[in-house]
Amino acid sequence: MVAKQIERERVSTPDKAWGIGVAAWAVPGLGHLLQKKWGRGLLLGGAVWVMFVLGLILGGHLFRLSGTDQGFSALLQLLPMSANFGAGLLYIVCWLTNSGFAENAQRVTYEYGNTFLLVAGLLNYLAMLDAFDIAARRKQ
Amino acid sequence: MRHVLWMVVFAGLTAAVFGVVAKGTDRHRLIYGLKVFGEFLGVAFILGWILYFLPYR
Repeated sequence: MVAKQIERERVSTPDKAWGIGVAAWAVPGLGHLLQKKWGRGLLLGGAVWVMFVLGLILGGHLFRLSGTDQGFSALLQLLPMSANFGAGLLYIVCWLTNSGFAENAQRVTYEYGNTFLLVAGLLNYLAMLDAFDIAARRKQ
Repeated sequence: MRHVLWMVVFAGLTAAVFGVVAKGTDRHRLIYGLKVFGEFLGVAFILGWILYFLPYR
């Protein structure tokens, strides 16, 4: 009986939940706003956007797999790049315009900036999963 | 002082997201968010004082 219930719950994920998940990843906060969760969407999206922009202002830099710096290792860049990539279109726009990737290690707030950028992406992954759960009716 | 300011901003933004994605009523989420915010600051201050007394040479 439990197995049947689990199976029923597994197949009942609506298709739109996947679209909401992608939208939530692409534009922070959009997944909740599309589901008319205005307060949550503005709070989540606002927090991620502010954190990302502050990260750039503080002198942080984004990570990517390809690079020409001495001692550069693609494997070492993989994890931080995955975190940055969570910011969705914010990261992709920076990647397309080649902005935000330069290191500013001379800035006092450089490490703060890096942390802000990394955590902005990670928090957006959380927001994306939350939006998906709401769309899949696993959460209110 | 600038470091503390950025730490508080970081804790506030992170706690806001943690509070919003938490389960439960709005009141529970608010309390959880405030708890996370306080924990961020508390742990940072404790670690800061521990590191202050550690010799670095």
